[in-house]
Amino acid sequence: MNLLLSEDQVQIVDTLKHFLCEEAPVARFRPPAPQIGNQDHRLLPRLAELGFLGIAIPEESGGIGLSSAEEMVVYREFGRHLLSPAIIGSMLGARVAAAAGDAALLHDLLSGKARVGLGNPRGSAGIGPHCHGEFHLIESIDAPWVLCCNEQGAALLRRSDFTAIEQVHPMDHSLSLERAKLESIRPAAWVSMEQDAIYTRALVLIGAFAVGLAEATRDMAVEYAKIREQFGKPIGSFQAIKHMCADMAIRAESALCQAAVASLTLSDHDPGAGFHGTACKLVSIDAALKNASQNIQVHGAVGFTSEADAHLYLKRAHVMDQLWGDTRFQRERMLHAPFAG
Amino acid sequence: MDLQFSREDRVFREEARDWLNSNSPIERRPHAGQTMREFDLAWQKRQYEGGWAGVSWQKEYGGLGLSLTRQLIWHEEYARADAPDNHLCFVALNHAGPTIMARGSEVQKQEHLQKILSGQTIWCQGFSEPNAGSDLGSLKTSARIDGDHLVVNGSKIWTSHGHLSDWQELLVRTDPQAPKHKGISWVICDMKSPGITLRPIEIMTSPNQVHFVQCFYDDVRIPLANVVGAVNDGWNVAMSTLGFERGTAQIRDMIRYAFLLEKMIGKAQQRLGADCPLSKDEIGARLAQLRADMAAARAMTYMVVSRAQAGISGSESSLMRAMVGETQQRARRLALDILGPYALENPEDDDWVYYYLRSFSITIAAGTAQIQRNIIGERVLGLPR
Repeated sequence: MNLLLSEDQVQIVDTLKHFLCEEAPVARFRPPAPQIGNQDHRLLPRLAELGFLGIAIPEESGGIGLSSAEEMVVYREFGRHLLSPAIIGSMLGARVAAAAGDAALLHDLLSGKARVGLGNPRGSAGIGPHCHGEFHLIESIDAPWVLCCNEQGAALLRRSDFTAIEQVHPMDHSLSLERAKLESIRPAAWVSMEQDAIYTRALVLIGAFAVGLAEATRDMAVEYAKIREQFGKPIGSFQAIKHMCADMAIRAESALCQAAVASLTLSDHDPGAGFHGTACKLVSIDAALKNASQNIQVHGAVGFTSEADAHLYLKRAHVMDQLWGDTRFQRERMLHAPFAG
Repeated sequence: MDLQFSREDRVFREEARDWLNSNSPIERRPHAGQTMREFDLAWQKRQYEGGWAGVSWQKEYGGLGLSLTRQLIWHEEYARADAPDNHLCFVALNHAGPTIMARGSEVQKQEHLQKILSGQTIWCQGFSEPNAGSDLGSLKTSARIDGDHLVVNGSKIWTSHGHLSDWQELLVRTDPQAPKHKGISWVICDMKSPGITLRPIEIMTSPNQVHFVQCFYDDVRIPLANVVGAVNDGWNVAMSTLGFERGTAQIRDMIRYAFLLEKMIGKAQQRLGADCPLSKDEIGARLAQLRADMAAARAMTYMVVSRAQAGISGSESSLMRAMVGETQQRARRLALDILGPYALENPEDDDWVYYYLRSFSITIAAGTAQIQRNIIGERVLGLPR
């Protein structure tokens, strides 16, 4: 038992960190960035070359064949850099294509050639051999594919399967958002939860992304508290601020530890994976939302502006909360999950 | 990263489980008084005779000298077997014993270590004073050297189980001129010494519940040979073992609480009835979030062990302590809300109300939640003092 990263894992993280610092600095969202959306899809072919898109896809399917633990630490970095969550669509979409035996699609997804947006149910929706219901499409405007996922399984749909597509103004303006409907459509590929526990994996990856958000906001608040002076002292010397930063550190650490345990139970095919995956999403979303709020508070008035990056993390934390089952929904699942002691 | 245990570790787990299942006391642990003392000593003695005492103690002092992983497994199995915590032995096993092992003389080791391990002596802690709580370094209880003795005057407070103890690990000021952390000594004090008087202090759980005492020292003579480490080096001696309180033992608590939470879910379902499903009630939402947060708190104990194994343990363990303490406190409060009107009853044979009241100490004892946050802010995050 050891929750620390191995040397190989540290190396993977360092490579990715270096790449994202160069290619996806958080400053990319500052003016004159486009008003809505982002250009992160341009990074997909290069992330594919570096082996990140297929990191947890088995080698025989063209992936790197590492475990969900490596995938988890990768998503933590994605979160830190506010990478477009469309990457979840590409990476989990590749799992669906692999399980469904669609080699051409799998290749397009693993190489970063085909873009996949995310379909998130608004109200009741059915995902299975036949899909229906009302959805939000996230980051899907120029994507030919849409990934939808719930407790029954995961489905890859064509964007053209959706009707009544209507662009709406997003809360998180770094991501595009549309409303759309599905009327009893057979998805291009469908994988049930029994075949591959993609939903549990999604919870761990969304959770890991949220860990990155919680850590980034903690670091931002701490750095600011060290340099911002009032009453002749750095504000971080005041307990009101210091303790807020400490709370942010406690939440980020608890979320990271739970994400580590959840990813390991998943890769071990442990029956507790469902319990720990749900706990992972709950704990890390709570940490991401609270840390993002407190980061704004520590920054004071500048935290309330669009010049500081603080608001981006808050908005993204809400997106990750809503994606494939919000806190209210996950709590209900948590209450009924078989106890993993 | 991995969650797997080696084959040898799994064998050890089986043995620990078997032994605990057939040897752990079944009768209820008394909450107070001499009967509690006898209960705790007897259970410690049984562990000693069974060859399971002192999992973390080095072999040369009679312990099992086990790796951190084995300690973790022992605590997990201890909690799973629902074995009672012998709290009265806590200071001896986790503070006084390890301190004597690390810094004591041969004579001190001979005299005390085996008696602690075999359940013959109870120790208490004499650190806090009426005016030195969070600011422990400003303690004032004085000790003047007189020949081959120290003469102690002053007062200690919040001494848990002081009235049931044989020995005390006592911090005294031996050099009033030195800077505050430099003039302190760590002394072994016989609680039966002439000149010690104890004032019992009732705690908020229920009338007549004496958990700790205030100790008054009136020209108490303690042999100089009872100083552990050097005279005036007591702060360092004390700091050398404070980490023991933050180690693997927390895992035991977290597992206990995880089981408690399962009982709480059952009780809440029973109380709300089939007409009002728990998942639609705010209690259900709180139970669910707590279940998740407790899983995370336990994961944090795994991280602390992982760091310690890699030799990089430090102030980061305060993150875990803060989380563990607060989830436990939340659980106790939630248990009360599940009881509804029955929360007003505090029966002898049920623990929920008693432990709710007791839970207020969790964020005060052994460094308040606020001191923890100062440590996190300054030592983990590098914020200015």
